[in-house]
Amino acid sequence: MQAPIPGVQRAVASGTPSHEYPFDSKVSLVTNHELNMIHVENLSKDYGQVRAVRSVSFDVPRGQVLGFLGPNGAGKSTTMKILTGFLTATGGTASIAGFDVATQSLEVRRRVGYLPESNPLYMDMRVDDYLRFAAEVRGVRGAQRQQGIDRVVEACGLERVYRKDIHELSKGYKQRVGLAQAMIHNPEVLILDEPTSGLDPNQIIEIRDLIRHLGTERTVILSTHILQEVEASCDRILIISQGKLVADGTLADLCEVLPSGALEIEVVGPLESIRQQLAELFVQGHVEHLAEGHARHGGHYFRVHVPLSMDAHAREATFDLIQGNSWKLVHLYRQKASLEDVFRKCTLSDAEAESLAERDLHSRVGEEVAHG
Amino acid sequence: MAEMTVIMKRELWSFFLSPIAYVAGAAFLFVPAFFWFSTLFLNTGGATEAHMSNFFGYMPLAMLFLASALTMRQWAEERKIGTLELLLTYPVTTTQLVTGKFLASFFFIGILLLMTASYPLTLSLFGNLDWGPVIGGYLGTWLLSGAYLAFGLFASSITKDQIVSLIVSLVVLLFMFYASSLALIVFGTNHPGLIEFFTVISPATHFSSIARGVVDLGDLLYYLVFCSFFLFLNSSVLELKKRVG
Repeated sequence: MQAPIPGVQRAVASGTPSHEYPFDSKVSLVTNHELNMIHVENLSKDYGQVRAVRSVSFDVPRGQVLGFLGPNGAGKSTTMKILTGFLTATGGTASIAGFDVATQSLEVRRRVGYLPESNPLYMDMRVDDYLRFAAEVRGVRGAQRQQGIDRVVEACGLERVYRKDIHELSKGYKQRVGLAQAMIHNPEVLILDEPTSGLDPNQIIEIRDLIRHLGTERTVILSTHILQEVEASCDRILIISQGKLVADGTLADLCEVLPSGALEIEVVGPLESIRQQLAELFVQGHVEHLAEGHARHGGHYFRVHVPLSMDAHAREATFDLIQGNSWKLVHLYRQKASLEDVFRKCTLSDAEAESLAERDLHSRVGEEVAHG
Repeated sequence: MAEMTVIMKRELWSFFLSPIAYVAGAAFLFVPAFFWFSTLFLNTGGATEAHMSNFFGYMPLAMLFLASALTMRQWAEERKIGTLELLLTYPVTTTQLVTGKFLASFFFIGILLLMTASYPLTLSLFGNLDWGPVIGGYLGTWLLSGAYLAFGLFASSITKDQIVSLIVSLVVLLFMFYASSLALIVFGTNHPGLIEFFTVISPATHFSSIARGVVDLGDLLYYLVFCSFFLFLNSSVLELKKRVG
């Protein structure tokens, strides 16, 4: 099994919201749901014999854009389907705005806008007819209906296709119609399952901007397996793998907490002495001297894989060591883990990572994944 | 109620966008009328009284095909293209969804039946038409169609495939239609109780008495119970789907 990221995972397990939103410690008198728009506790879902979601817990405060990250079949969509009331959980509870998704489903559904993964639309309807239907079925009727439609048509840029049949539209416009129907009742919570899948780069950027904009006043959960997407639009990231929550935090948190394992050092001084003393300093780590081509300032270039125990003060220790020996430090850089690193680290066990690398050599065939 | 009306309106609208509804509707308007008209003047030769009992005689079978064709896509298509996922996450109960869809097809058939009103009107110009059985015939046909639609809708809810839905609906409804005769063949005359039972549960039995112009409360109740039962099953299928995934 893959190792959870230390520190980050602890925050989840103890049930305290992670530390990136400043107001949580101050406001202790407000009830739970006012603080947390979405509350998920030990949620599980079985499809027959297959356990798609395993005891997932997290809270989402009002106004946060949460990125739900994970490989295909990890349980992202299933979790979202439970939150929207399309599926009932096998175990655990979830609530939105204080309403339980299982027992107060209608109240929850009134407050949630949902864009399913496949962006299903009635292809034979016209955009305006479809939006009218979406508004009315959401209880947006009378004068409010046209206001709501005008608002989403503007927000999603649908003016040009307003009177066209949906099946005539390009994929990007269909996606916008899907977003428009999800927002038509001005919901407190938006749940978007892979909102940018199948779009071209321009469209992706437009949709991301739109989501960013939406996130200023609403709580948004979006799922994706595109890493740039969360980097671009999310305040916070949950990584889910094989139905389990393996990481939870801001992008910075995740990249920070993951032992990057790499410190780049370039030092001017006696090579053997530096090598030896670095090795003594990072006893549990691994010191590597990279000769030609790396050193740019006439020194010796080392890459050090820092052990976890020293992660926090690796740079200070290195600096002290060099200063103590009166060598000259010309380059010191801590490589930050990228989201890709975090993602791979979290979602692949070591054995899997190896076999995947092996498979990359051959062609990748028949990677069967159930349940997006 | 408002939610159900919204669902019903969209569903009714989708019939007018769907080629299946036009083809099935046209076939329904043409085929029984053809059979009926082709013998109309032979049968009434010499008689002074105009009647439509032959026309309504074709209705149970014609309705069986029409109702199955109209309902086959109603859930199966939603499942196939995925709109079911949105439908079930709207703030609308499954009962409202099911009832909305049912009423849409029920009214659509009502519209088709109204379009046949030209037959009795024409007939009344030729001869002395007794309107009692005609109105009874229409009422019976419409109620019978309701029963068939309720079952067809249920059949559509259990599959993604319209054709599977159509076949299930046709086969089961045909069995129900011939239930009393089949019971007679299977059980013989030794079990009058069983035969009576199958006669009573067959929608066609209740049709014929209403079509004669005798509107009995029991028959009306039968259709109400029959429709409610299958609409309830339909709703249960949707709820079950949420649980199973």
